[in-house]
Amino acid sequence: MLVEETAVETDTVTPISRRHERRLVRAAREGSGAAVAELYAAHWRRAHRAAYLVVHDRAAAEDIAQDAFLAAIDALDRFDRRRPFAPWLHRIVVNRAIDWTRRETLRRGVDDTEVAAIAPVGPEIGGEVMAALRGLSPEQRAVVVLRHLLEYTPGEIASMLGVPRGTVNSRLRRALDRLRVVMAVER
Amino acid sequence: MRRRSPDAELGRLLREVPIPSDPEAEARGLELALARHTRRRRARRSPLPRLVAVFAAALALGVLLLTPAWATVRNWVGGAFESTPNHGRPTGLGSIPGGGRLLVQTAAGAWVVEPDGTRHLLHGYREASWSPHGLFLAAVGGDRLTALEPDGDPHWTIHAAAPVTYPRWSPSGELVAYRSGAGLRVVAGDGSEDRALDESVAPVAPAWDPAGRPDLAYVDARGALRVIDVSTDRPVITSGALPRIRRLEWGHTSAAHEGTTGVLLEASARRIAVRPVGIGGPGSGHLGRPLHLDVPPGATVRTAALSPDGRTVAALLVRRSRRPGHARPTDLVLYSTRTGTARRLGSVPGRLTEVAWSPRGNRLLIAWPSFDEWLFVPPSAAEGKAMTGIAAAFGTTGSPFPVVSGWCCRARSAATP
Repeated sequence: MLVEETAVETDTVTPISRRHERRLVRAAREGSGAAVAELYAAHWRRAHRAAYLVVHDRAAAEDIAQDAFLAAIDALDRFDRRRPFAPWLHRIVVNRAIDWTRRETLRRGVDDTEVAAIAPVGPEIGGEVMAALRGLSPEQRAVVVLRHLLEYTPGEIASMLGVPRGTVNSRLRRALDRLRVVMAVER
Repeated sequence: MRRRSPDAELGRLLREVPIPSDPEAEARGLELALARHTRRRRARRSPLPRLVAVFAAALALGVLLLTPAWATVRNWVGGAFESTPNHGRPTGLGSIPGGGRLLVQTAAGAWVVEPDGTRHLLHGYREASWSPHGLFLAAVGGDRLTALEPDGDPHWTIHAAAPVTYPRWSPSGELVAYRSGAGLRVVAGDGSEDRALDESVAPVAPAWDPAGRPDLAYVDARGALRVIDVSTDRPVITSGALPRIRRLEWGHTSAAHEGTTGVLLEASARRIAVRPVGIGGPGSGHLGRPLHLDVPPGATVRTAALSPDGRTVAALLVRRSRRPGHARPTDLVLYSTRTGTARRLGSVPGRLTEVAWSPRGNRLLIAWPSFDEWLFVPPSAAEGKAMTGIAAAFGTTGSPFPVVSGWCCRARSAATP
């Protein structure tokens, strides 16, 4: 009988400087596998975490993070090295995560709340946070993750999601209103 | 002690909340990323002429096809397919091996791909399927179900009470079944007489009797497999479906078997089963005993599809990696629906996501998103082809990989659409 291995991942990120990152992107373009591996190591966990916090599905989060890296590798030649790598990657991750959640919603023919209810439940630790996030729409989860996990400004988020800044602010406000109760409990 | 601001507190929670993760996921992803990077570099450096590519594929597949069932099969990444990258080609796709027209789903809408690889987008449709002879499409977007010509000219549209999914045109061309919200409905081929068949069904596409009778198989909300005669709404067959079924297909078999003329395919994430099915006349039918196909221990069924002649099931099975930290391989396996005999055609590291049979059953299309390719594999001949640059060809770079939702069609009949 198959039992999927499960571990609990925490957000331990190895930061790299912008200057070093630019060097890595240039080296990756020139064919360096080591540079690809270093970029991957620096960004995988946060990309995977962002995907998971939006989709709440372990396999989908892995697929989304993986596909985002592959898409980034394909587009290395078009990437503007003067810009940071992370926002480019995170844009792909979050938009794919939103698309995946919408498709799942449609596939099941039920509303987001019901999808959340049948989504795989995370581990007990932090269960309140995960439960509270599941109560949000995928678009609200995405702006919360972009703002509070990945620390982008509302203007940057608007650009990443292709929506007006006012929409980002209203989504954030509604999401935080719903999360406030949980925050109070956690504190 | 100073209290953190609510914003900082939320950030801390999001960073620190443990999330479930496969311990090997990171290593698997890295392996794929490096493989993709290497392959991309090679493709840029020395694109092989197509003739050489096809010859290499033919040679390698010849080796593959001589291997006994479940024997070690050469890894497809090792050279069974040479890609034909689309260096600057505006269309990106060449002619479709096996012929016919494809229906491809992307976030922007449905694409119709002609046999020569040219294609056009039908904006705004989230899902579509062919009419039996490819003269029309049944397409959905939000709460709309539309019958349109492949060039995009709509014939009729109906609005449902809830989002529409799984439009399926009957082989006679007279009916279109679809799911709206959780309910199953049917409408006549001219857009009239829209009505409910079942108020609550499982999220599994229904399947029409391929022999052309108005019988529809579906899985209800309690997990029962039902066949109803849509002309009378009378139940024909009720039986237990495979637990947690995700895919249902109904194939026609040319040779009668135990008084039956069809075969039902059921697939879940862990199991695949086929059952002979026979419809005796209005309101009468029977199911044979299920034949459970051999899925190796620990493997996950990604998807499965019946061949047009109903004799073969093609399945994508994701196995556990034997080497820790390496990508989980996906196998393409062919099963006989009569005997259950399995034959593994090939294997790749990483995900193959879908498999579709060509209309004549002489090619299989397999999607390989990790390498941005469609593989065209003959089930019984020694040649093969990989089409690369699929995401760019459909403008989906950076968004979900295109999904093949139909491959059409056999010879046209004047009587049916």
